[in-house]
Amino acid sequence: MRPSNGGGQIKSITQERNINPADVLLPPGYTIEAVARDFTFPTAVAFDSQNRLHVLESGYSYGEVWTEPKLIRIDNNGTRTVVATGTRNGPWSGISYHDGNFYVAEGGTMEGGKILRIAPDGAIATLVDKLPTLGDHHTNGPVIRDGYVYFGLGTATNSGVVGVDNYKYGWLKREPRFHDIPCQDVVLSGLNFETPNVLKDSTTKATTGAYSPYNTTTYPGQIIKGSIPCSGAIMRVPVAGGKMELVAWGLRNPFGLAFSNDGRLYITENNYDVRGSRPVWGSGDVLWEIKEGMWYGWPDFSAGKPIRDDEEFAPPGQGQVKPILQRYPNQPPKPAAILGVHSSSIGFDFSRSSTFGFEGEAFVAQFGDMAPEVGKVLAPVGYKLVRVDVQNGVIRDFAVNKGKRNGPASWLESGGLERPVSAKFDPSGNTLYLVDFGVMKVTKAGSEPKPGSGVIWKITRK
Amino acid sequence: MKMNIRLVALGVALVVWCVVVAGCAARKSEPIKNEFFKPTNASIANGERVYMANCQKCHPSGEAGLGPSLNAVPAPQFIKRFQMRHGLGVMPGFKRDEISKEDLHDISKYRKAWKHY
Repeated sequence: MRPSNGGGQIKSITQERNINPADVLLPPGYTIEAVARDFTFPTAVAFDSQNRLHVLESGYSYGEVWTEPKLIRIDNNGTRTVVATGTRNGPWSGISYHDGNFYVAEGGTMEGGKILRIAPDGAIATLVDKLPTLGDHHTNGPVIRDGYVYFGLGTATNSGVVGVDNYKYGWLKREPRFHDIPCQDVVLSGLNFETPNVLKDSTTKATTGAYSPYNTTTYPGQIIKGSIPCSGAIMRVPVAGGKMELVAWGLRNPFGLAFSNDGRLYITENNYDVRGSRPVWGSGDVLWEIKEGMWYGWPDFSAGKPIRDDEEFAPPGQGQVKPILQRYPNQPPKPAAILGVHSSSIGFDFSRSSTFGFEGEAFVAQFGDMAPEVGKVLAPVGYKLVRVDVQNGVIRDFAVNKGKRNGPASWLESGGLERPVSAKFDPSGNTLYLVDFGVMKVTKAGSEPKPGSGVIWKITRK
Repeated sequence: MKMNIRLVALGVALVVWCVVVAGCAARKSEPIKNEFFKPTNASIANGERVYMANCQKCHPSGEAGLGPSLNAVPAPQFIKRFQMRHGLGVMPGFKRDEISKEDLHDISKYRKAWKHY
């Protein structure tokens, strides 16, 4: 068996990041430059009414590293001003500007997820809190349309069952009773999974079923009551605050949200890993068009296909994946596009300018694989910007690193892209900003991010 | 004996050539080629769509990822179609209700066009 060869499998993160736009390749007619650097875990950008660039620093990274979440304004002369600072409850995973205020998704690693409204003077108001995103995946988004703030809630676990992988991630120690919550009532098949009891004595066993706390068994036909807010869902709340509503569910980690030029909501879903009590193999990330009320298949489907008893999704040597649910709310729809397995396809935006080109296509940032922590890859996956024609699902590379092989700059020992986390067009639509999270080393033991290595890239058409 | 040595030498040379070609030509995309890829007929366009729905996730742009690189594999297309239908190792086979015979041939046409682009 060939060993994993992921882009995060680098020797060290100690060396200073080299930045050289000439190491990034684009299609004919486009150019890239680095406009700001040395950010700690940047995740997104937004523009205020004066078209001033604002950068969001996450305040949290996988690897259990907390820093201060920050909203930073970059003036035209390059001066940086911290507009607002958050608490130890990151990651601040996304931002939108609307009608004089910024709206930020706060991940919720310590207190649960929140949607924040940040005034230009830095005053922070909480629109929604106590969202159930204390686990593997966080509160994401937001985007604003027709008086509503839309946001994503990631699932607690990889595939519905709390296990040893969640202990390694760190949150199971903090929240030993936390688990996934369905948005509507579900009927379980009654599968249970035995692991060493990592919360007590690893020489004893824990047996855990789906949608349940660690070391809690389930039985066939058991009904788990649905409630709002829930795990793996798209939600919305009025911009002025008010009652939260369910938009769609059955999504593992809906990270990126964007409205197309004709007003349809699309999201990126980070799909299953080969980890935990119920590992799933070969599950590509997905770009979905969201239809209200629809269930999108998690935890028993991947990209609209059932994962049960299918060799396509069975980890080598581990047997086929068995279903968690006895029946399904609906048949999941067909995806808009299926992206690379472990590519971590996340923040994206639609081109709306003939000056930039590719109007109506989605530009998706690919953070890159987290192998070997999430599974094995033969070569680095992601670490680039792709464009997707949502009409036919065709994906084409748009910004990649120069070299004989694909990979992050630290792996290639170049000055190119590291881990693209989001893409955002400026208000004119003529310039695309690519947020690069920075260097992250990954081993089987976990992630090791490098603070201060984030970069904001700017792409224009010549 | 002499014949055997020649055959072995030829085999080694072929392997080295394949590795060199695979190494040089494994990456293909619009930024790498500095040229846009335009399907020249409906079969190639359909082949690209079907490839994207079934193959891209493991072989993004034909490069290695979860699976190996396809861009410089010198095997004939009929062998690749056989592998797509029946699988090999951890690669699953795709049944006729997943990829029709016509779509399988269109994938071949797309892959050939991509190889020569």
